[in-house]
Amino acid sequence: MTAFQLAAPAWMIVPIILPLIAGLFCFLFNRRIFAIALTAALANLLGVCILIYQLLFFGPMRCHMGGWQTPIGITLRTDGPALLMLLTTAITGLAVTLYARGYFSYRILNPRHAARHQQQQRYFWPLWMLLLTGLNGLFLSNDIFNLYVTLELIAISAASLAALSGKPASQLAAFRYLLVSLLGSLTYLLGVVFLYRSCGVLDLDLLQNLMQNAPGIRAALALMSIGLLLKTALFPLHFWLPPAHANALAPVSVILSALVVKGSFYLLFRFWFEVFTPIITTSALNFMGTLGAIAIVWGAIQAMRQPRLKLMVAYSTVSQLGYLFIAFPLTRIDGNIHIWGIVIFMAMAHACAKSAMFMVAGTVFLHLGHDRIKDLNGIRANLPITVFAYGIAGVSLMGLPPSGGFIAKWLLLSSALTSSQWWWALVIIVGSLLAMIYVFRVMSHFFVIPEDYAFTKPTPVSPLMEWPALALALISLLLGLAASWPLYILAQGNVVLAQIFPGGLP
Amino acid sequence: MRTEEKIITRSRNRHKRLDAFQRILLLLVICLTTLLGSIIWTMPENPPGLADAVALMQEHSGVKSPVTAVLLNFRGYDTLLEVMVLLLAVIGAWSLAKAHFPQQEREANPVQMGVVRLLVPLMFLVAAYLVWQGSHLAGGAFQGGAILGAAGVLMLVTELPCLRAIPAHPLRIGLVLGPLIFVGVALFCLFLTGDLLGYPEETAGWLILLIEAGCAISIGLTLASLFAGGHPEDERPKNQEQAKGPCKGERP
Repeated sequence: MTAFQLAAPAWMIVPIILPLIAGLFCFLFNRRIFAIALTAALANLLGVCILIYQLLFFGPMRCHMGGWQTPIGITLRTDGPALLMLLTTAITGLAVTLYARGYFSYRILNPRHAARHQQQQRYFWPLWMLLLTGLNGLFLSNDIFNLYVTLELIAISAASLAALSGKPASQLAAFRYLLVSLLGSLTYLLGVVFLYRSCGVLDLDLLQNLMQNAPGIRAALALMSIGLLLKTALFPLHFWLPPAHANALAPVSVILSALVVKGSFYLLFRFWFEVFTPIITTSALNFMGTLGAIAIVWGAIQAMRQPRLKLMVAYSTVSQLGYLFIAFPLTRIDGNIHIWGIVIFMAMAHACAKSAMFMVAGTVFLHLGHDRIKDLNGIRANLPITVFAYGIAGVSLMGLPPSGGFIAKWLLLSSALTSSQWWWALVIIVGSLLAMIYVFRVMSHFFVIPEDYAFTKPTPVSPLMEWPALALALISLLLGLAASWPLYILAQGNVVLAQIFPGGLP
Repeated sequence: MRTEEKIITRSRNRHKRLDAFQRILLLLVICLTTLLGSIIWTMPENPPGLADAVALMQEHSGVKSPVTAVLLNFRGYDTLLEVMVLLLAVIGAWSLAKAHFPQQEREANPVQMGVVRLLVPLMFLVAAYLVWQGSHLAGGAFQGGAILGAAGVLMLVTELPCLRAIPAHPLRIGLVLGPLIFVGVALFCLFLTGDLLGYPEETAGWLILLIEAGCAISIGLTLASLFAGGHPEDERPKNQEQAKGPCKGERP
């Protein structure tokens, strides 16, 4: 019974196999679906905690699927970045699960479309559980083809979820999303073919050792990067994101914006800074940084101009994703030391803050029946907790202390200045100011109660819709205060980082 | 009528001429293809690969066909996720629409019925054989499932009246059967050997056959359900369980 010792690498399959089984059962059964999904989400969080415990006490691990060693078998591995992404996914996922329950219950209360909403809820749960399987598989996998399979799992479930609302606008957006996502997957697969033809192995560790500057490998890198950039929606490949995210159901927008784009970004980052590092050139890094800079400014300007809250939040995602790419050109001089820290921090803070914001947008939409920003006055009187959550999430998006967003931006700024690339620092500051404008534009409407405001007594919103948003917003805020803790996890198994911060503290 | 013709001719013309954007796109695609082709051209003759490693471990896999060994044993985890992708496609399609069946029942063409009656049992037999021979020759769950799916499509285009009465729940069980068996076997192996999908060497062949048989049924149902294009009639379970069986042997 070696599988059940606490030190056994087989624990790694828990975050993959549990949501998978839950997804199957959610599809199979008609009743108690929420209980199944909630159990899976809780057990998933518990499993991730066990993995973190393992990492802290036994170091990074490899799990050979089926007992077959590389090169013929598939390997899963845990290390700091993978586990932090898993943890973010587990926490956000739990909050989304609760929120979705409140969201669907509220909508089913409305007798007019109860059947349709029941139908939506019926399919939401299996799709969401299988999406969670795909994401967890992606973060853990160490095999370049297995990663393709997880990307496929994510792409199909995400596109189906985006189409779930059934409105023509959302179906159109979801169809475009599906096509873009498939194009990305296939481009990635073509890259895998080139890489396998050149190196003859699929395991990331083995590939890392075989890396050389051959045309086939460079083509593979280019193809895989383009495929993943399409999925991550970096400017100018972001065109599909705002309509798909803004027209989906609120819990779906949360999942797509907070988790799905992070998955492909994580993969891209791992490829660039672990596997393909020897053949990455400075100009390529600068190119990525430039696209990121344009994305920050362009996304923020678009967000300021949007008349609707959900579209504003969706464009804000385009902008915030840019920060992740600004980190690329800052690595060369920095010697790759705390770049993982910056990027993971940014991703965590953004995942929590953005999911809180989309939850708020969804709650406001349900409450008022619209989300036109200029007509949002006085909502504070009816939804105080929701509005509070929006404010806190906004603090993290703007990057004010002590939020996680602040720490991430501070780390970015300091590495930009120490490596004397001040122009990136300028972009970061401008981006933060623009973020302030679009966040406050909504906030001013939220908090103003007009003179002649008629207090109505609408259907009370379920606490399940308000509290998860607030909890996530608070996590994104407190992440800045507990910054040493994620960095400590990152330091495990990362020799360079451990030398720089012996105690794990920056 | 005239406007329709106009639209048709216009769309035809549009097919003939490419606008500037499409031309640029075409040019880019041609350039990219040439570039990638030239890179493949410059690659070494004998690429490194895993074929030798697979051949070396073949005898421990429990099956004689290298393709099956890779799909179900060495990289069984990949296949497990792939099977889930297929299931996801059905869930996605079901979430979007209801399966469309014509309003009034048509009397099926006797020739068509004859073909169906002749072919469908044969296809079931071929599918079973393909799954069976997957252990030593080309074949397996995906090939067998494809044949089963084709049989389903054949019955669907014949618009057999019994198909619209298939209740959702048994269909669901059929769709989930393969993945459930797969996960079940994977967990069984985990308890036995400590590795997910780490088959004990002596029973590996049988476990693989079990997985393949279950997956073939589910893949066949998946493909046929995708062709039907949506979820079945009664989403809410009612007490009118109509077995799928009798309709196949039905005589006019």
